[in-house]
Parts: sequence; C-alpha cells; structure tokens
Amino acid sequence: MEYLHTDWEAMSRNDWIGVALTVLAFVAMVAAYVLVFNPKNKEAFNSQGDMALRDEGEHNNFGGKK
Amino acid sequence: MEATQAAPVKYDMDVVRWFTIAAVIYGVVGTLIGVIVAFQLAFPVLNFDSPYLSFGRLRPLHTNAVIFAFGGCTLMATGFYIVQRTGATRLWSNGLAWFTFWGWNLIIVLAVITLPLGLTQGKEYAELIWPIDLLIAVVWLSFGLNHIMTTAIRKTSHIYVSNWFTMGMIVMITYLHVVNSLALPVSLTESFSVFSGVQDAMIQWWWGHNAVGFYLTGGFLGIMYYFVPKQAQRPVYSYRLSVLHFWTLTFGYVWLGAHHLQYTALPDWTGSLGAAVSLAMIIPSWGGAMNGMMTLSGAWDKLRTDYVLRFLATSLAFYAMSTFDGPVMSIKTVNALSHYTDWTVGHVHAGALGWMAMVSFGALYHMVKKLWNTEMYSDSLVNLHFWVALVGTVIYVVALWVSGIMQGLMWRDYDEYGTLTYSFVESVSAMHPYYVMRAVGGALFNLGTVIMLYNVVMTIRQASATRGVNAVPAKA
Repeated sequence: MEYLHTDWEAMSRNDWIGVALTVLAFVAMVAAYVLVFNPKNKEAFNSQGDMALRDEGEHNNFGGKK
Repeated sequence: MEATQAAPVKYDMDVVRWFTIAAVIYGVVGTLIGVIVAFQLAFPVLNFDSPYLSFGRLRPLHTNAVIFAFGGCTLMATGFYIVQRTGATRLWSNGLAWFTFWGWNLIIVLAVITLPLGLTQGKEYAELIWPIDLLIAVVWLSFGLNHIMTTAIRKTSHIYVSNWFTMGMIVMITYLHVVNSLALPVSLTESFSVFSGVQDAMIQWWWGHNAVGFYLTGGFLGIMYYFVPKQAQRPVYSYRLSVLHFWTLTFGYVWLGAHHLQYTALPDWTGSLGAAVSLAMIIPSWGGAMNGMMTLSGAWDKLRTDYVLRFLATSLAFYAMSTFDGPVMSIKTVNALSHYTDWTVGHVHAGALGWMAMVSFGALYHMVKKLWNTEMYSDSLVNLHFWVALVGTVIYVVALWVSGIMQGLMWRDYDEYGTLTYSFVESVSAMHPYYVMRAVGGALFNLGTVIMLYNVVMTIRQASATRGVNAVPAKA
C-alpha cells in the first residue's frame, strides 16, 4: 500500500493536468469499447467492411463483382 | 450505395505517381546505406578514415532515408490515393499536394547534405538541425491539411478506417515533432534543446516510440486496411474490430515511451507504466493482425499466384511477431538483458523490414498497376523480390536476436570472485560472425529493392509504350 501512497498536497498544477488527461483517456477508451462492442452497432460498423472494394464497383460482400 | 457507383470520379493521381516512384527509389537508396553501415560494423576498415563516411554519420542517414524518405513517400502516396478513392473525391488542393511533394524531397536532399557533414541535434530519429525541423513542420502540415480537408469534402458518408489511421498519424506526429524539436537556436546550424537531463530523455523517447507507434505502425496500418481487402478482393473480416484497433492504439501508444528508459534516472513507476501499457498493446495489435489475416479467409488460394498479396500477408505475420517481441522486451527483467544489445536492433528490423517495408512493397506494387493501368512487367520478378526480401529479413533478424542475447549474457556474466567474465572487447569480437550475417541479410533485402525498381521502371515504360507518352491512364 505504501507504494500506492500519494501525497495529494504536493500535487502541482501539471500533476493535476496529467491526472485529468489520464482519467479522460481512460473514460474515452471505455466509451470506445462500449460503442464498438454494443451488439446494436455491429451491423452498422461491419456494413462498412467492403468500402475499399466499392471504388471500382466490386460491391458485394463476398468479393465478387456485381 | 456510395457516390462512387453513381459516376466515375476523376482523381488527382499525378502527385501520387511521383510519390510512388520516389518511394521505390528511396527504398533502394535507404537500404543501400543500411548495408554499407552494416558492413562497417563487421569490417571497420570500411569507414575509410573519412569522417563523412563514418558509421556515426551514415547511420542516421540510413534511418532518415528509410523512415522519412522511403516510409514518408509511401505514406503520402498511399494517403493521397486512399483518401481520394474511399471518399470518391479529388484532392482538396492538388497544388498543395505538389508543394508537399517538392518540400518533402527538399528535406530529404538537405538531410543527405547535412548528416554526412556532421550537422545534427543528436536526438535519435530527430537528428536534423533546427531550420530543417521548421521545414518538416510546414511540409508535414501541408500534407495533413490537404488530407483532412479532402476527407472533409468527401462524397461518401463514412470515413474509412484507413483514413482514421492516417489522420491519427498526422495529428500525433505534428504534436510529437513540434514538442520534441523545441530548441533555442544559437546559429544557423546549432541549437540547444529546451529540455535537459532526464526530462530531455523522456521527451526524446516519448517522440521516439510514438514515431514507431503512430508513423511506422498507425500510418502503415492505414495502408494495410485498404490494400489487404483490395488485393484479396474480400471485405475487412471485422470492421468493428478495425475501429477498436484504431482507438486502442491511439489511446494506448502514447504511454509506451518510458519503457526505453528502464533502470535510468527516470522515476521507476514511469518505466513500469510504460511496460504495463506495452503488454496491454498486444491485445489490439494482435486483434488487428488477426483481422488482416482473417480478411484473407476464402482467398488463401490466391497466395499461390498473387505475389503482391504474399507481401501483404507476410507483413501481417511480422506485425504480429514484432508487436509481441516489443512488449516482452519492455518487461524489466527481460529489459535488463536485452537493453543496449543487438536484440533491440533485431526487433526494430523485424518491424521495419518484415512489417513496414513488406506492406509498403505490397501497396506500391498494387498502386503501380492501378496508376499506370497495366500489369507488372514481370510477375516472376515480383515473386523473386518477395523471396529475396523474406530470406534477407529472416537472416537479418535471427542473426541479431542471437547476437543480442549473447551480448546480454556476456555482459552480465560474473566469475566466482564477482568480477566480469568477459571484457567489452571480447563481446564485440564475439559479435563479428553475426554482424557479417546481418550485412548479408541486409544486402539481400537491398537486392530485392533493386529488383523492384527495375520491374517498376520497365512496367512504366511498358505502359507508356502501349498508350503513348502523353496519354492519360484510364482508371486513375
């Protein structure tokens, strides 16, 4: 526990900015996981998987040309 | 249905063609300088007692040439190519793209002049002197502005994941380059970093590892997510995994730099944090590599005949390998053995040759065929390039893995009296056969780039002869 002890009184402004950014990044990362793994969004995401194939008209999901 | 099906779009591909040709040429030059410095390590007489040709000056020229000349031109060629095709729109500014092309090449020329003259800031992968640093910032921002604005004016509703990776790279490299290069100039060629001591070291490796993370990994993942599906003619196996891949790398990579500074004056916890996040990065990295591999599902048979696809598939194997190797090396107990040894150099080249260069070759071959609307002059030479590059990479990496581990073990070996068993010179001497092997592996890899250059030149000549010099390619 001593290893995890933090002297909050000694925290500088830069330390607090760092803490805020760290927490923000963590929350944003959790949000990204929730968004991507939400089953409701699966179809919406995966429907873009063939986007690279569309620019020459190869639009079907099995790689063949329409 | 996207706008791309509605009507043919005319793209600005001339600048992409020039970036493509430049990348192929710089691939030859950059790896050739690498071969020279590799032989210099094995046979120091090859320094020729000339300061201009010494290892210390040519080594940064090699790293700058392969990373920024070959890698940079590949990233800009593919970046402009992908953003137009997936957005069904022309570049926001073709003129600005040409400014980027000539500006980037001017930077490369200035690097070729200044580095052999010994003009350097001494910061790894950021050696160039401060006036060139300013030029890099301006030219890089011109690339970034054009890419982002082209994305903004796209005709499609969705922004394809490759463009996210490229824009992530643009934003982060701008930030990293500017902060790491902050310096007080005292003359046209000399300056002092505004950071000092351990802060300077931390900033240096914050830049150093994120150049790997956002430029050599993120940027080239953008290439992978476009060209693997394209060449395999298969949709991305899991598009949502690719989205997660992007965001986890973007959030995670910025923490890793401190693992370069284990057992230094840097506070202990920063190294531990760097190592912990490095290990966590295995998950998205392997997820992405598997995603790329699984995209080939149902198309594996193409690997027998499609040599371009071989480059792309092999690059994914090396991506997975080096993103496992790196985190393991960041663990303190492993780092105690591996740091400062050739294991690090082997790890870097597994990524640089096996991942970055292989995926680049695959993308460049694909683009050459599309941009000049032709088939390759010789598919056999593409196949030969693949095998020469693969064998060269394996020889190089294995030699340095073995020599690195041997170095680490020799340096830490004590006798019964508690004194070192080997002198440093003995460890250097023991490395000689491995350094020769490394040079041979590098020479093979360089030979592959020469084969590619010849094949690309002949392909362009063939296409020009077919159409007439001034004809405009149909598809581009």
